[in-house]
Amino acid sequence: MAANFWASSHYKQLMEQEEVDVVHSPDKEKGLTLDEFKLIKMHMANYIAKLAQSVKVRQRVVATAVTYMRRVYTRKSMSEYDPRLVAPTCLYLASKAEESTVQARLLVFYIKKQYNDEKYRYEIKDILEMEMKILEALNYYLVVYHPYRPLSQLLQDAGMTEMTQLSWGLVNDTYKMDLILIYSPYMIALACIYIATVLKEKDTTAWFEELRVDMNVVKNISMEILDFYDSQKILNEERISAAINKLALKP
Amino acid sequence: MDKYEKLEKVGEGTYGKVYKAQDKTTGQLVALKKTRLEMDEEGVPPTALREIALLQMLSQSLYLVRLLCVEHVDNKNGKPLLYLVFEYLDTDLKKFIDSHRKGPNPSPLAPTLIQSFLYQLCKGVAHCHSHSVLHRDLKPQNLLVDKDKGILKIADLGLGRAFTVPLKSYTHEIVTLWYRAPEVLLGSTHYSTGVDMWSVGCIFAEMVRRQALFPGDSELQQLLHIFRLLGTPSEDQWPGVSSLRDWHEYPQWKPQNLARAVPNLEPEGVDLLSKMLQYDPASRISAKAALDHPYFDSLDKSQY
Repeated sequence: MAANFWASSHYKQLMEQEEVDVVHSPDKEKGLTLDEFKLIKMHMANYIAKLAQSVKVRQRVVATAVTYMRRVYTRKSMSEYDPRLVAPTCLYLASKAEESTVQARLLVFYIKKQYNDEKYRYEIKDILEMEMKILEALNYYLVVYHPYRPLSQLLQDAGMTEMTQLSWGLVNDTYKMDLILIYSPYMIALACIYIATVLKEKDTTAWFEELRVDMNVVKNISMEILDFYDSQKILNEERISAAINKLALKP
Repeated sequence: MDKYEKLEKVGEGTYGKVYKAQDKTTGQLVALKKTRLEMDEEGVPPTALREIALLQMLSQSLYLVRLLCVEHVDNKNGKPLLYLVFEYLDTDLKKFIDSHRKGPNPSPLAPTLIQSFLYQLCKGVAHCHSHSVLHRDLKPQNLLVDKDKGILKIADLGLGRAFTVPLKSYTHEIVTLWYRAPEVLLGSTHYSTGVDMWSVGCIFAEMVRRQALFPGDSELQQLLHIFRLLGTPSEDQWPGVSSLRDWHEYPQWKPQNLARAVPNLEPEGVDLLSKMLQYDPASRISAKAALDHPYFDSLDKSQY
Protein backbone atom coordinates (compact mmCIF):
# COMPACT_ATOMS: atom_id res chain seq x y z
CA MET A 1 0.00 0.00 0.00
CA ALA A 2 2.82 2.39 0.68
CA ALA A 3 6.51 2.36 0.23
CA ASN A 4 8.31 3.75 3.21
CA PHE A 5 8.68 1.31 6.10
CA TRP A 6 10.93 3.45 8.30
CA ALA A 7 8.39 6.27 8.39
CA SER A 8 5.49 3.90 8.91
CA SER A 9 3.32 3.05 11.85
CA HIS A 10 4.47 -0.54 11.42
CA TYR A 11 8.03 0.48 12.28
CA LYS A 12 6.87 2.37 15.34
CA GLN A 13 4.88 -0.65 16.46
CA LEU A 14 7.75 -3.12 16.55
CA MET A 15 7.83 -4.85 19.92
CA GLU A 16 10.26 -6.75 22.11
CA GLN A 17 10.04 -10.53 22.25
CA GLU A 18 9.14 -10.36 25.96
CA GLU A 19 6.21 -8.07 25.20
CA VAL A 20 4.89 -10.41 22.54
CA ASP A 21 5.30 -13.47 24.76
CA VAL A 22 2.69 -12.44 27.29
CA VAL A 23 -0.16 -14.81 28.01
CA HIS A 24 -3.04 -12.56 29.06
CA SER A 25 -4.46 -13.24 32.48
CA PRO A 26 -7.88 -14.62 31.46
CA ASP A 27 -6.02 -17.25 29.40
CA LYS A 28 -3.46 -17.87 32.11
CA GLU A 29 -6.24 -18.52 34.60
CA LYS A 30 -7.44 -21.27 32.32
CA GLY A 31 -4.02 -22.84 32.48
CA LEU A 32 -2.78 -21.80 29.02
CA THR A 33 1.01 -21.91 28.89
CA LEU A 34 3.26 -19.73 26.74
CA ASP A 35 4.06 -22.71 24.51
CA GLU A 36 0.39 -23.43 24.00
CA PHE A 37 -0.29 -19.75 23.29
CA LYS A 38 2.33 -19.82 20.55
CA LEU A 39 1.02 -23.12 19.29
CA ILE A 40 -2.50 -21.78 18.86
CA LYS A 41 -1.21 -18.72 17.02
CA MET A 42 0.76 -20.97 14.71
CA HIS A 43 -2.23 -23.17 14.12
CA MET A 44 -4.33 -20.10 13.32
CA ALA A 45 -1.67 -18.87 10.89
CA ASN A 46 -1.99 -22.22 9.12
CA TYR A 47 -5.77 -21.95 9.23
CA ILE A 48 -5.61 -18.52 7.59
CA ALA A 49 -3.27 -19.83 4.89
CA LYS A 50 -5.56 -22.78 4.15
CA LEU A 51 -8.65 -20.59 3.96
CA ALA A 52 -6.79 -18.16 1.73
CA GLN A 53 -6.04 -20.96 -0.69
CA SER A 54 -9.74 -21.77 -1.00
CA VAL A 55 -10.80 -18.20 -1.59
CA LYS A 56 -7.76 -17.59 -3.81
CA VAL A 57 -6.01 -14.55 -2.44
CA ARG A 58 -2.35 -13.66 -2.74
CA GLN A 59 0.32 -14.61 -0.21
CA ARG A 60 0.57 -10.95 0.72
CA VAL A 61 -3.00 -10.99 2.01
CA VAL A 62 -2.22 -14.08 4.10
CA ALA A 63 0.85 -12.35 5.53
CA THR A 64 -1.15 -9.25 6.44
CA ALA A 65 -3.95 -11.32 7.98
CA VAL A 66 -1.53 -13.31 10.12
CA THR A 67 0.15 -10.09 11.24
CA TYR A 68 -3.23 -8.68 12.29
CA MET A 69 -4.03 -11.86 14.20
CA ARG A 70 -0.69 -11.77 16.03
CA ARG A 71 -1.09 -8.11 16.84
CA VAL A 72 -4.56 -8.70 18.24
CA TYR A 73 -3.13 -11.22 20.69
CA THR A 74 -0.52 -8.81 21.95
CA ARG A 75 -3.48 -6.82 23.29
CA LYS A 76 -6.41 -9.17 23.75
CA SER A 77 -6.89 -12.56 25.34
CA MET A 78 -7.95 -15.63 23.45
CA SER A 79 -10.71 -16.16 25.98
CA GLU A 80 -12.34 -12.92 24.90
CA TYR A 81 -11.36 -13.14 21.26
CA ASP A 82 -11.91 -16.68 20.06
CA PRO A 83 -9.03 -17.50 17.70
CA ARG A 84 -11.38 -19.57 15.55
CA LEU A 85 -13.32 -16.41 14.76
CA VAL A 86 -10.38 -13.97 14.85
CA ALA A 87 -8.43 -15.92 12.22
CA PRO A 88 -11.02 -15.83 9.41
CA THR A 89 -11.99 -12.26 10.31
CA CYS A 90 -8.37 -11.14 10.00
CA LEU A 91 -8.29 -12.70 6.55
CA TYR A 92 -11.50 -10.86 5.69
CA LEU A 93 -10.07 -7.56 6.91
CA ALA A 94 -6.71 -8.09 5.21
CA SER A 95 -8.43 -8.86 1.92
CA LYS A 96 -10.11 -5.45 2.11
CA ALA A 97 -6.98 -3.61 3.15
CA GLU A 98 -4.94 -5.25 0.40
CA GLU A 99 -7.51 -4.44 -2.26
CA SER A 100 -8.67 -7.94 -3.04
CA THR A 101 -11.88 -8.13 -1.08
CA VAL A 102 -13.31 -11.55 -0.34
CA GLN A 103 -17.01 -11.76 0.39
CA ALA A 104 -17.89 -12.80 3.92
CA ARG A 105 -20.33 -15.46 2.72
CA LEU A 106 -17.60 -17.08 0.66
CA LEU A 107 -15.39 -17.31 3.74
CA VAL A 108 -18.22 -18.79 5.77
CA PHE A 109 -18.82 -21.35 3.03
CA TYR A 110 -15.21 -22.52 3.04
CA ILE A 111 -14.95 -22.53 6.81
CA LYS A 112 -17.83 -25.00 6.90
CA LYS A 113 -16.26 -27.04 4.14
CA GLN A 114 -12.92 -27.23 5.91
CA TYR A 115 -14.05 -27.99 9.42
CA ASN A 116 -16.71 -30.38 10.52
CA ASP A 117 -15.99 -29.21 14.04
CA GLU A 118 -18.90 -27.11 15.26
CA LYS A 119 -16.55 -24.88 17.17
CA TYR A 120 -15.05 -23.45 14.00
CA ARG A 121 -18.41 -22.59 12.54
CA TYR A 122 -19.22 -18.94 12.56
CA GLU A 123 -21.75 -16.99 10.55
CA ILE A 124 -21.45 -13.78 8.51
CA LYS A 125 -22.82 -11.63 11.30
CA ASP A 126 -20.20 -12.99 13.69
CA ILE A 127 -17.44 -12.05 11.26
CA LEU A 128 -18.82 -8.54 10.75
CA GLU A 129 -19.10 -8.00 14.48
CA MET A 130 -15.60 -9.27 15.06
CA GLU A 131 -14.32 -7.07 12.22
CA MET A 132 -15.27 -3.98 14.20
CA LYS A 133 -13.70 -5.36 17.37
CA ILE A 134 -10.47 -6.21 15.57
CA LEU A 135 -10.30 -2.78 13.94
CA GLU A 136 -10.51 -1.30 17.39
CA ALA A 137 -7.97 -3.71 18.84
CA LEU A 138 -5.61 -2.74 16.01
CA ASN A 139 -6.48 0.89 16.52
CA TYR A 140 -7.00 1.09 12.76
CA TYR A 141 -3.31 0.59 12.04
CA LEU A 142 -3.73 -1.57 9.00
CA VAL A 143 -0.70 -0.87 6.86
CA VAL A 144 1.76 -3.73 7.20
CA TYR A 145 5.13 -4.16 5.51
CA HIS A 146 6.39 -7.59 4.59
CA PRO A 147 9.79 -9.10 3.78
CA TYR A 148 8.77 -10.07 0.23
CA ARG A 149 9.66 -6.82 -1.50
CA PRO A 150 13.03 -6.32 0.23
CA LEU A 151 13.70 -10.01 -0.44
CA SER A 152 13.33 -9.62 -4.20
CA GLN A 153 15.36 -6.43 -4.21
CA LEU A 154 18.15 -7.92 -2.13
CA LEU A 155 18.38 -11.08 -4.21
CA GLN A 156 18.49 -9.00 -7.36
CA ASP A 157 21.21 -6.87 -5.85
CA ALA A 158 23.23 -9.92 -4.85
CA GLY A 159 22.74 -11.52 -8.24
CA MET A 160 21.23 -14.57 -6.54
CA THR A 161 17.77 -14.67 -8.04
CA GLU A 162 18.09 -18.47 -8.26
CA MET A 163 17.62 -18.45 -4.47
CA THR A 164 14.21 -16.83 -4.77
CA GLN A 165 12.08 -19.93 -4.37
CA LEU A 166 13.89 -21.29 -1.34
CA SER A 167 14.13 -17.98 0.51
CA TRP A 168 10.56 -17.04 -0.40
CA GLY A 169 9.36 -20.27 1.18
CA LEU A 170 11.39 -19.47 4.28
CA VAL A 171 9.74 -16.05 4.48
CA ASN A 172 6.32 -17.70 4.27
CA ASP A 173 7.26 -19.90 7.20
CA THR A 174 8.33 -16.94 9.34
CA TYR A 175 4.64 -16.08 9.69
CA LYS A 176 4.25 -19.19 11.82
CA MET A 177 6.27 -17.24 14.37
CA ASP A 178 5.95 -13.75 15.80
CA LEU A 179 9.02 -12.41 13.95
CA ILE A 180 6.99 -9.85 11.96
CA LEU A 181 5.99 -8.14 15.22
CA ILE A 182 9.56 -7.92 16.43
CA TYR A 183 11.93 -7.34 13.51
CA SER A 184 11.88 -5.12 10.46
CA PRO A 185 10.83 -6.90 7.25
CA TYR A 186 14.22 -6.03 5.79
CA MET A 187 16.07 -7.92 8.52
CA ILE A 188 13.72 -10.89 8.24
CA ALA A 189 14.38 -10.99 4.49
CA LEU A 190 18.12 -10.96 5.15
CA ALA A 191 17.85 -13.79 7.66
CA CYS A 192 15.96 -15.90 5.14
CA ILE A 193 18.59 -15.21 2.51
CA TYR A 194 21.28 -16.07 5.02
CA ILE A 195 19.71 -19.46 5.79
CA ALA A 196 19.16 -20.17 2.11
CA THR A 197 22.77 -19.42 1.22
CA VAL A 198 24.07 -21.54 4.09
CA LEU A 199 21.87 -24.44 2.98
CA LYS A 200 23.12 -24.09 -0.58
CA GLU A 201 26.69 -23.61 0.66
CA LYS A 202 27.13 -20.27 -1.04
CA ASP A 203 29.70 -17.85 0.29
CA THR A 204 28.08 -14.48 0.71
CA THR A 205 30.25 -13.03 3.46
CA ALA A 206 31.50 -10.19 1.28
CA TRP A 207 28.01 -9.26 0.14
CA PHE A 208 26.65 -9.18 3.69
CA GLU A 209 29.63 -7.10 4.80
CA GLU A 210 28.90 -4.51 2.17
CA LEU A 211 25.34 -4.14 3.40
CA ARG A 212 26.64 -2.90 6.74
CA VAL A 213 23.83 -4.46 8.71
CA ASP A 214 24.10 -5.85 12.19
CA MET A 215 24.97 -9.47 11.39
CA ASN A 216 24.23 -10.48 14.97
CA VAL A 217 20.61 -9.60 14.46
CA VAL A 218 20.51 -11.44 11.13
CA LYS A 219 22.04 -14.51 12.74
CA ASN A 220 19.72 -14.35 15.74
CA ILE A 221 16.68 -14.28 13.50
CA SER A 222 18.12 -17.16 11.50
CA MET A 223 18.63 -19.18 14.68
CA GLU A 224 15.08 -18.55 15.72
CA ILE A 225 13.81 -19.79 12.39
CA LEU A 226 15.98 -22.93 12.57
CA ASP A 227 14.92 -23.59 16.18
CA PHE A 228 11.36 -23.30 15.05
CA TYR A 229 11.85 -25.93 12.35
CA ASP A 230 13.34 -28.24 14.99
CA SER A 231 10.42 -27.78 17.34
CA GLN A 232 7.97 -28.46 14.52
CA LYS A 233 9.06 -32.09 14.40
CA ILE A 234 7.31 -32.82 17.66
CA LEU A 235 4.08 -31.12 16.71
CA ASN A 236 0.80 -32.86 16.41
CA GLU A 237 -2.88 -32.17 16.12
CA GLU A 238 -3.65 -33.43 19.60
CA ARG A 239 -1.44 -30.88 21.25
CA ILE A 240 -3.18 -28.15 19.31
CA SER A 241 -6.70 -29.21 20.21
CA ALA A 242 -5.67 -29.80 23.81
CA ALA A 243 -4.43 -26.21 23.97
CA ILE A 244 -7.54 -24.76 22.36
CA ASN A 245 -9.80 -26.85 24.56
CA LYS A 246 -8.26 -25.27 27.62
CA LEU A 247 -9.84 -22.01 26.54
CA ALA A 248 -13.25 -23.70 26.40
CA LEU A 249 -14.82 -20.92 24.42
CA LYS A 250 -17.84 -21.78 22.39
CA PRO A 251 -20.05 -24.46 23.97
CA MET B 1 -19.27 8.79 21.39
CA ASP B 2 -20.68 9.69 24.79
CA LYS B 3 -17.07 10.33 25.67
CA TYR B 4 -17.24 13.62 23.80
CA GLU B 5 -19.30 16.71 24.24
CA LYS B 6 -19.94 18.58 21.00
CA LEU B 7 -19.18 22.25 21.57
CA GLU B 8 -19.79 23.88 18.20
CA LYS B 9 -19.77 23.23 14.51
CA VAL B 10 -16.45 24.54 13.24
CA GLY B 11 -16.76 23.76 9.61
CA GLU B 12 -18.19 22.00 6.68
CA GLY B 13 -15.37 19.91 5.36
CA THR B 14 -15.59 18.74 1.81
CA TYR B 15 -16.64 15.35 3.09
CA GLY B 16 -18.79 16.16 6.11
CA LYS B 17 -19.44 18.32 9.11
CA VAL B 18 -16.70 19.02 11.58
CA TYR B 19 -17.38 19.68 15.23
CA LYS B 20 -15.22 21.05 17.97
CA ALA B 21 -15.72 18.75 20.92
CA GLN B 22 -14.28 18.00 24.28
CA ASP B 23 -13.26 14.69 25.77
CA LYS B 24 -15.36 14.62 28.93
CA THR B 25 -12.81 12.70 30.97
CA THR B 26 -9.54 14.30 29.92
CA GLY B 27 -10.83 17.73 28.90
CA GLN B 28 -8.84 17.47 25.68
CA LEU B 29 -10.26 19.43 22.75
CA VAL B 30 -10.76 17.43 19.58
CA ALA B 31 -12.18 17.88 16.11
CA LEU B 32 -14.86 15.32 15.31
CA LYS B 33 -15.53 14.40 11.74
CA LYS B 34 -18.46 12.26 10.86
CA THR B 35 -17.76 10.27 7.76
CA ARG B 36 -20.52 9.45 5.38
CA LEU B 37 -18.99 6.06 5.00
CA GLU B 38 -21.80 3.92 6.25
CA MET B 39 -21.43 0.25 6.65
CA ASP B 40 -23.34 -2.20 4.54
CA GLU B 41 -23.86 -5.95 4.42
CA GLU B 42 -20.13 -6.37 3.84
CA GLY B 43 -19.04 -4.48 6.94
CA VAL B 44 -16.72 -1.49 6.68
CA PRO B 45 -16.41 -0.45 3.01
CA PRO B 46 -12.90 -1.26 1.75
CA THR B 47 -12.34 2.28 0.42
CA ALA B 48 -13.11 3.75 3.84
CA LEU B 49 -10.91 1.19 5.47
CA ARG B 50 -7.95 1.97 3.26
CA GLU B 51 -8.38 5.70 3.68
CA ILE B 52 -8.51 5.46 7.43
CA ALA B 53 -5.50 3.17 7.46
CA LEU B 54 -3.60 5.62 5.28
CA LEU B 55 -4.62 8.53 7.46
CA GLN B 56 -3.60 6.63 10.54
CA MET B 57 -0.23 5.94 8.98
CA LEU B 58 0.41 9.44 7.63
CA SER B 59 -0.76 11.27 10.71
CA GLN B 60 2.39 10.13 12.48
CA SER B 61 4.02 13.23 11.02
CA LEU B 62 4.18 16.39 13.09
CA TYR B 63 3.10 18.38 10.07
CA LEU B 64 -0.16 16.59 9.59
CA VAL B 65 -3.16 16.84 11.84
CA ARG B 66 -3.09 13.83 14.09
CA LEU B 67 -5.84 11.26 13.91
CA LEU B 68 -6.34 10.42 17.58
CA CYS B 69 -8.76 7.59 17.15
CA VAL B 70 -11.72 6.30 15.24
CA GLU B 71 -15.03 5.86 17.03
CA HIS B 72 -17.86 3.80 15.76
CA VAL B 73 -21.44 4.45 16.77
CA ASP B 74 -24.81 3.19 15.69
CA ASN B 75 -27.08 5.81 14.13
CA LYS B 76 -30.85 6.07 14.59
CA ASN B 77 -31.50 3.22 12.20
CA GLY B 78 -29.07 1.00 14.05
CA LYS B 79 -26.50 1.34 11.30
CA PRO B 80 -22.92 1.80 12.39
CA LEU B 81 -21.18 5.05 11.49
CA LEU B 82 -17.57 6.05 11.80
CA TYR B 83 -16.32 9.20 13.45
CA LEU B 84 -12.76 10.35 13.01
CA VAL B 85 -11.33 12.08 16.06
CA PHE B 86 -8.55 14.57 15.31
CA GLU B 87 -6.45 16.82 17.48
CA TYR B 88 -7.90 20.30 17.64
CA LEU B 89 -6.07 23.46 16.61
CA ASP B 90 -7.59 26.85 17.29
CA THR B 91 -7.50 28.38 13.85
CA ASP B 92 -6.69 27.85 10.20
CA LEU B 93 -4.49 29.74 7.80
CA LYS B 94 -7.44 31.38 6.05
CA LYS B 95 -8.74 32.89 9.29
CA PHE B 96 -5.21 33.74 10.29
CA ILE B 97 -4.53 35.65 7.07
CA ASP B 98 -7.96 37.31 7.31
CA SER B 99 -7.16 38.56 10.79
CA HIS B 100 -4.04 40.21 9.40
CA ARG B 101 -5.99 41.85 6.61
CA LYS B 102 -9.25 42.91 8.22
CA GLY B 103 -8.97 43.05 12.02
CA PRO B 104 -8.50 46.26 13.99
CA ASN B 105 -4.76 46.42 13.27
CA PRO B 106 -4.12 45.06 9.78
CA SER B 107 -0.47 44.20 9.25
CA PRO B 108 1.52 41.91 6.98
CA LEU B 109 2.55 38.49 8.22
CA ALA B 110 6.10 38.59 9.52
CA PRO B 111 8.54 37.34 6.85
CA THR B 112 10.04 34.83 9.30
CA LEU B 113 6.58 33.45 10.05
CA ILE B 114 5.82 33.04 6.34
CA GLN B 115 9.12 31.26 5.95
CA SER B 116 8.40 28.96 8.88
CA PHE B 117 4.82 28.19 7.80
CA LEU B 118 5.96 27.42 4.26
CA TYR B 119 8.70 25.16 5.56
CA GLN B 120 6.26 23.21 7.71
CA LEU B 121 3.85 22.98 4.79
CA CYS B 122 6.57 21.59 2.52
CA LYS B 123 7.57 19.11 5.25
CA GLY B 124 4.01 17.83 5.47
CA VAL B 125 3.57 17.64 1.70
CA ALA B 126 6.92 15.85 1.34
CA HIS B 127 5.75 13.32 3.93
CA CYS B 128 2.55 12.61 2.00
CA HIS B 129 4.37 12.35 -1.29
CA SER B 130 6.96 9.97 0.12
CA HIS B 131 4.03 7.63 0.82
CA SER B 132 2.67 8.19 -2.69
CA VAL B 133 -0.32 10.05 -1.35
CA LEU B 134 -1.57 13.23 -2.99
CA HIS B 135 -3.57 15.70 -0.97
CA ARG B 136 -5.18 17.31 -4.02
CA ASP B 137 -7.11 19.92 -2.09
CA LEU B 138 -4.51 22.03 -0.31
CA LYS B 139 -5.83 25.47 0.59
CA PRO B 140 -5.52 27.85 3.53
CA GLN B 141 -8.74 26.49 5.08
CA ASN B 142 -7.15 23.05 5.19
CA LEU B 143 -4.04 24.23 6.99
CA LEU B 144 -4.57 24.39 10.72
CA VAL B 145 -2.58 26.85 12.74
CA ASP B 146 -1.57 27.13 16.36
CA LYS B 147 -0.97 30.87 16.62
CA ASP B 148 0.92 30.81 19.90
CA LYS B 149 3.32 28.06 18.99
CA GLY B 150 3.67 29.07 15.34
CA ILE B 151 2.71 25.59 14.22
CA LEU B 152 1.07 24.73 10.90
CA LYS B 153 -0.42 21.34 10.07
CA ILE B 154 -2.10 19.87 7.02
CA ALA B 155 -5.67 18.67 7.54
CA ASP B 156 -8.45 17.09 5.51
CA LEU B 157 -6.16 14.55 4.04
CA GLY B 158 -6.70 11.02 2.91
CA LEU B 159 -10.37 10.97 2.20
CA GLY B 160 -9.46 12.92 -0.89
CA ARG B 161 -7.83 9.94 -2.47
CA ALA B 162 -10.72 7.56 -2.81
CA PHE B 163 -12.85 10.09 -4.58
CA THR B 164 -12.22 12.63 -7.25
CA VAL B 165 -12.18 16.12 -5.81
CA PRO B 166 -15.69 17.35 -6.52
CA LEU B 167 -16.71 20.77 -7.76
CA LYS B 168 -19.35 20.97 -5.10
CA SER B 169 -19.15 19.47 -1.66
CA TYR B 170 -22.06 17.39 -0.46
CA THR B 171 -23.38 20.41 1.38
CA HIS B 172 -23.40 22.25 -1.96
CA GLU B 173 -20.69 24.56 -0.87
CA ILE B 174 -18.64 25.50 -3.89
CA VAL B 175 -15.21 23.98 -3.74
CA THR B 176 -12.62 26.65 -4.33
CA LEU B 177 -10.63 26.57 -7.55
CA TRP B 178 -8.06 29.13 -6.51
CA TYR B 179 -5.36 26.61 -5.65
CA ARG B 180 -6.02 24.20 -8.46
CA ALA B 181 -3.12 23.41 -10.79
CA PRO B 182 -3.44 24.28 -14.48
CA GLU B 183 -3.14 20.64 -15.57
CA VAL B 184 -6.19 19.78 -13.43
CA LEU B 185 -8.11 22.75 -14.81
CA LEU B 186 -7.21 21.63 -18.32
CA GLY B 187 -8.60 18.17 -17.72
CA SER B 188 -5.39 16.16 -17.40
CA THR B 189 -6.14 12.72 -16.02
CA HIS B 190 -2.64 11.62 -15.06
CA TYR B 191 -1.73 14.33 -12.65
CA SER B 192 0.76 13.77 -9.88
CA THR B 193 2.55 15.38 -6.94
CA GLY B 194 2.90 18.60 -8.93
CA VAL B 195 -0.75 19.47 -8.26
CA ASP B 196 0.02 19.84 -4.56
CA MET B 197 3.12 21.93 -5.24
CA TRP B 198 1.10 24.33 -7.36
CA SER B 199 -1.27 24.79 -4.43
CA VAL B 200 1.68 25.31 -2.10
CA GLY B 201 2.90 28.08 -4.41
CA CYS B 202 -0.51 29.77 -4.40
CA ILE B 203 -0.65 29.56 -0.61
CA PHE B 204 2.88 30.96 -0.31
CA ALA B 205 1.94 33.97 -2.44
CA GLU B 206 -1.26 34.44 -0.46
CA MET B 207 0.60 34.63 2.83
CA VAL B 208 2.74 37.41 1.38
CA ARG B 209 -0.13 39.28 -0.31
CA ARG B 210 -2.84 38.58 2.27
CA GLN B 211 -5.12 37.92 -0.64
CA ALA B 212 -5.44 35.10 -3.12
CA LEU B 213 -3.07 35.04 -6.07
CA PHE B 214 -5.57 33.59 -8.56
CA PRO B 215 -9.15 34.18 -7.32
CA GLY B 216 -11.12 32.65 -10.18
CA ASP B 217 -14.83 31.90 -9.90
CA SER B 218 -15.10 29.38 -12.72
CA GLU B 219 -12.66 26.98 -14.30
CA LEU B 220 -12.20 29.27 -17.31
CA GLN B 221 -11.80 32.38 -15.16
CA GLN B 222 -9.31 30.49 -13.05
CA LEU B 223 -7.17 29.65 -16.07
CA LEU B 224 -7.35 33.22 -17.35
CA HIS B 225 -6.17 34.55 -13.97
CA ILE B 226 -3.17 32.27 -14.18
CA PHE B 227 -2.41 33.08 -17.83
CA ARG B 228 -2.60 36.83 -17.22
CA LEU B 229 0.15 36.65 -14.62
CA LEU B 230 2.34 33.84 -15.92
CA GLY B 231 1.64 34.24 -19.64
CA THR B 232 -0.39 31.88 -21.82
CA PRO B 233 1.51 28.55 -21.78
CA SER B 234 3.12 27.36 -24.98
CA GLU B 235 4.15 23.92 -26.22
CA ASP B 236 7.78 24.97 -25.71
CA GLN B 237 7.23 25.73 -22.07
CA TRP B 238 4.92 22.84 -21.42
CA PRO B 239 5.14 20.00 -23.91
CA GLY B 240 1.74 18.41 -24.49
CA VAL B 241 -0.34 21.26 -23.11
CA SER B 242 -2.31 21.79 -26.32
CA SER B 243 -3.40 18.14 -26.40
CA LEU B 244 -4.96 18.24 -22.93
CA ARG B 245 -8.70 17.51 -22.91
CA ASP B 246 -9.95 20.99 -22.09
CA TRP B 247 -7.35 22.99 -23.99
CA HIS B 248 -8.71 25.73 -26.26
CA GLU B 249 -7.17 28.62 -28.07
CA TYR B 250 -6.72 31.31 -25.45
CA PRO B 251 -5.77 34.96 -25.75
CA GLN B 252 -1.99 35.29 -25.83
CA TRP B 253 -0.72 36.99 -22.70
CA LYS B 254 2.92 37.74 -21.99
CA PRO B 255 4.31 36.70 -18.60
CA GLN B 256 4.38 39.50 -16.03
CA ASN B 257 7.08 40.09 -13.48
CA LEU B 258 6.19 37.67 -10.68
CA ALA B 259 8.00 39.78 -8.07
CA ARG B 260 5.42 42.51 -8.56
CA ALA B 261 2.63 40.18 -7.55
CA VAL B 262 4.36 39.51 -4.24
CA PRO B 263 5.68 42.87 -3.08
CA ASN B 264 8.09 42.70 -0.15
CA LEU B 265 9.03 39.09 -0.80
CA GLU B 266 12.78 38.72 -0.90
CA PRO B 267 14.37 37.58 -4.21
CA GLU B 268 15.07 34.03 -2.94
CA GLY B 269 11.39 33.73 -2.08
CA VAL B 270 10.36 34.92 -5.52
CA ASP B 271 12.70 32.34 -7.05
CA LEU B 272 11.18 29.52 -5.01
CA LEU B 273 7.67 30.72 -5.85
CA SER B 274 8.48 30.76 -9.55
CA LYS B 275 9.70 27.16 -9.29
CA MET B 276 6.44 26.12 -7.63
CA LEU B 277 4.42 27.85 -10.33
CA GLN B 278 6.12 26.19 -13.30
CA TYR B 279 3.57 25.29 -15.96
CA ASP B 280 5.06 21.93 -16.86
CA PRO B 281 4.27 19.69 -13.86
CA ALA B 282 7.42 17.70 -14.61
CA SER B 283 9.65 20.71 -14.06
CA ARG B 284 7.80 22.01 -11.00
CA ILE B 285 9.92 21.80 -7.84
CA SER B 286 9.22 18.85 -5.52
CA ALA B 287 8.41 19.32 -1.85
CA LYS B 288 11.64 17.61 -0.87
CA ALA B 289 13.73 19.84 -3.14
CA ALA B 290 11.87 22.92 -1.93
CA LEU B 291 13.07 22.20 1.62
CA ASP B 292 16.65 22.66 0.41
CA HIS B 293 15.96 25.88 -1.48
CA PRO B 294 18.14 28.88 -0.49
CA TYR B 295 14.98 30.71 0.65
CA PHE B 296 15.11 28.55 3.76
CA ASP B 297 18.84 29.09 4.39
CA SER B 298 18.14 31.70 7.04
CA LEU B 299 15.72 29.39 8.86
CA ASP B 300 16.86 27.47 11.92
CA LYS B 301 16.00 24.02 10.56
CA SER B 302 17.07 22.23 13.73
CA GLN B 303 13.77 23.03 15.38
CA TYR B 304 11.72 21.20 12.73
